[in-house]
Amino acid sequence: MRLHRPPRFALGLSLAALVALAAIRPVAGQDATVDRLAKLDQYNRAAVELMLDSAATLGLPVSYLRSVAYEGIQRKADGRAIVRAVRKQFDLLKTARATLGTVDSEELTAAAAVLGAGARPNQLATFRAQQKAPSRLEAFAVWADLLTRGVPAEDAFSGLSKLWVDGADDATFLRLWKNVQSDILQGLNPGTALQNRIRETPVRASPQVKPPEGQQENQSSR
Amino acid sequence: MNEPKVAILTLTAALLVSAPRGLAAQLVSSKLEAGQFTVSDGSLPSSAIRLAPTVQFELPHATLRAHGSAFLSEQNLQLADGIVSGTFTSPTVYGVRAEMIGNASRAMDARSLGTDQVDVQTRVHVLFHQNGGVWLGGGVARPWRVAVASSADVTDAGAWTKVGSAIARFGEATFTTTFTNFSFTKVATVNDTVSAALSCTAGSLGGSSDAPLRALFAESVSGGACERQSRFSDLEGAMHWAVGVFELNAQTGYRFGDAYDVTPDSRRWTSAAATVWLGDRVAFIAGGGRQPALPLRGLPARSFVMAGLELAYWPMSRSSVPVSLPRSTLINSFEMRAAPTGMQKIIIRVGGVETVDVMGDFSDWSPLTLARKGRDLWELSVPLSPGMHQINVRVDGGAWVAPPGMPTMHDNYNGDVGLIVVQPEKSGH
Repeated sequence: MRLHRPPRFALGLSLAALVALAAIRPVAGQDATVDRLAKLDQYNRAAVELMLDSAATLGLPVSYLRSVAYEGIQRKADGRAIVRAVRKQFDLLKTARATLGTVDSEELTAAAAVLGAGARPNQLATFRAQQKAPSRLEAFAVWADLLTRGVPAEDAFSGLSKLWVDGADDATFLRLWKNVQSDILQGLNPGTALQNRIRETPVRASPQVKPPEGQQENQSSR
Repeated sequence: MNEPKVAILTLTAALLVSAPRGLAAQLVSSKLEAGQFTVSDGSLPSSAIRLAPTVQFELPHATLRAHGSAFLSEQNLQLADGIVSGTFTSPTVYGVRAEMIGNASRAMDARSLGTDQVDVQTRVHVLFHQNGGVWLGGGVARPWRVAVASSADVTDAGAWTKVGSAIARFGEATFTTTFTNFSFTKVATVNDTVSAALSCTAGSLGGSSDAPLRALFAESVSGGACERQSRFSDLEGAMHWAVGVFELNAQTGYRFGDAYDVTPDSRRWTSAAATVWLGDRVAFIAGGGRQPALPLRGLPARSFVMAGLELAYWPMSRSSVPVSLPRSTLINSFEMRAAPTGMQKIIIRVGGVETVDVMGDFSDWSPLTLARKGRDLWELSVPLSPGMHQINVRVDGGAWVAPPGMPTMHDNYNGDVGLIVVQPEKSGH
């Protein structure tokens, strides 16, 4: 009995199919690396993408929210924790937008970080855009840090808003942060450390910067 | 006995009353365990209140640690053990890290005056990006006031691996396997009351049915004492699992050796302890199991059950990795300068390490490896748009931490990130 041998063209066809498959697979792999959200399960991914779509509709920075999800994936966080984090930042961005009005995405994300650290929206309102006002980014970074280090929210707000209203520049905020950090490491109470350093921080008065109505009590009289 | 009692009480009081300030606050950690402890070997009251304070002082390449435990029984404080240890580690070079460990300890036993021991050990670790490693070590232990042993040569080898992460659904687990060989000379006299001495007596007397014992104690010494080269090996597997507020430590082992060196009750052992953190500084601990005999300390095998509270006045590191890993303070400085074509150059100074990575929102949280530009100089140019950016740094594949010298805040996943500010027209800090 002779074995039936497959025709040569069938073998050739199979080989060509294998080569084609091999050529296609890397492309699929590249897609997977580009879309890192694919590492989430379908339910959590759908929840994240829904929020990204909503953010785009509202004009909020989608790339920032996507970055929050990427951060969670990189840190191997649970999918539900990632959804919670994105939702929290989404809400903070909406609050920041409602408080500060139309600002660029950099300042909006910085403001969301401050709110996330524990600042209240009505405190953030003090930092509404003023004509020729100094940049808020450094003030926001220092504010978020002080809140994280345990400075009472009211102390942090009153100190930093005073400096900002007085026209403090980035270097002033950074110098304040370094001094307060040093004092805290020396064992000083965080709130006391900030108050002491605010008192001795010289700032150049900036007549162009005016506090919003209802915040005059925070203005320096020095 | 009074001096050790005073030492334990002083250590406990110091933990509860004083507080380190400034830099020391970052370096000192401590805890106090207090609870009910029950043992089966009769060396202690069958059930007693146990106090166990620990203080640790950590530097980048050295850790000093003091630990003691005492039992409160019928209003008397009885010292159980005390140990002072120091660990010194070298920088990691091509994944290899050397470690030297020194211990001085005293173990008290109600049936004896207690035993002292000084031991020194060196280990060479090979690390795999701080997610796993193997080690080989050796050293000498010198006990005092132990009737059945003189000095001991200790060699050990082990492997460990870390899986998961602290923020993953199933947390982080570290598995460790250790093989330790003890080789020492037993010294027994006819006046000893322990099993070795009885065997020695039999060997010295030369009874008709003790040919095996005669062989064991071939090197008889004068004065009614005899010596024997003893050897046994412990193979132990351990697991540390931490998920959320829950931690579990478990170990099991088997002791190899002939019947003379290893008593039946020390062949196998298993113990476990669970910790539930009720807050940042308070935890409930419960555990139990069996511990093997410690011939070098003259301590028998015992079963134990314990339950109590752990007060971590300055929380101790929860690391379960059996090697000292670099602390973030190893990073001497972090700075950022404007580079041509809108880039920002990240400059980090950290010595004695092999890799330095950064990640942040600017990299979509993908790790970027810095290039070594000098003995302790690492650089990387990254495109950073104006705004406030979050950044983390890690050394030798270790934990991601906020870089030093810049504002920080909590990230979205229970960690800390540094905050870089890039102004539209000039570089950040």
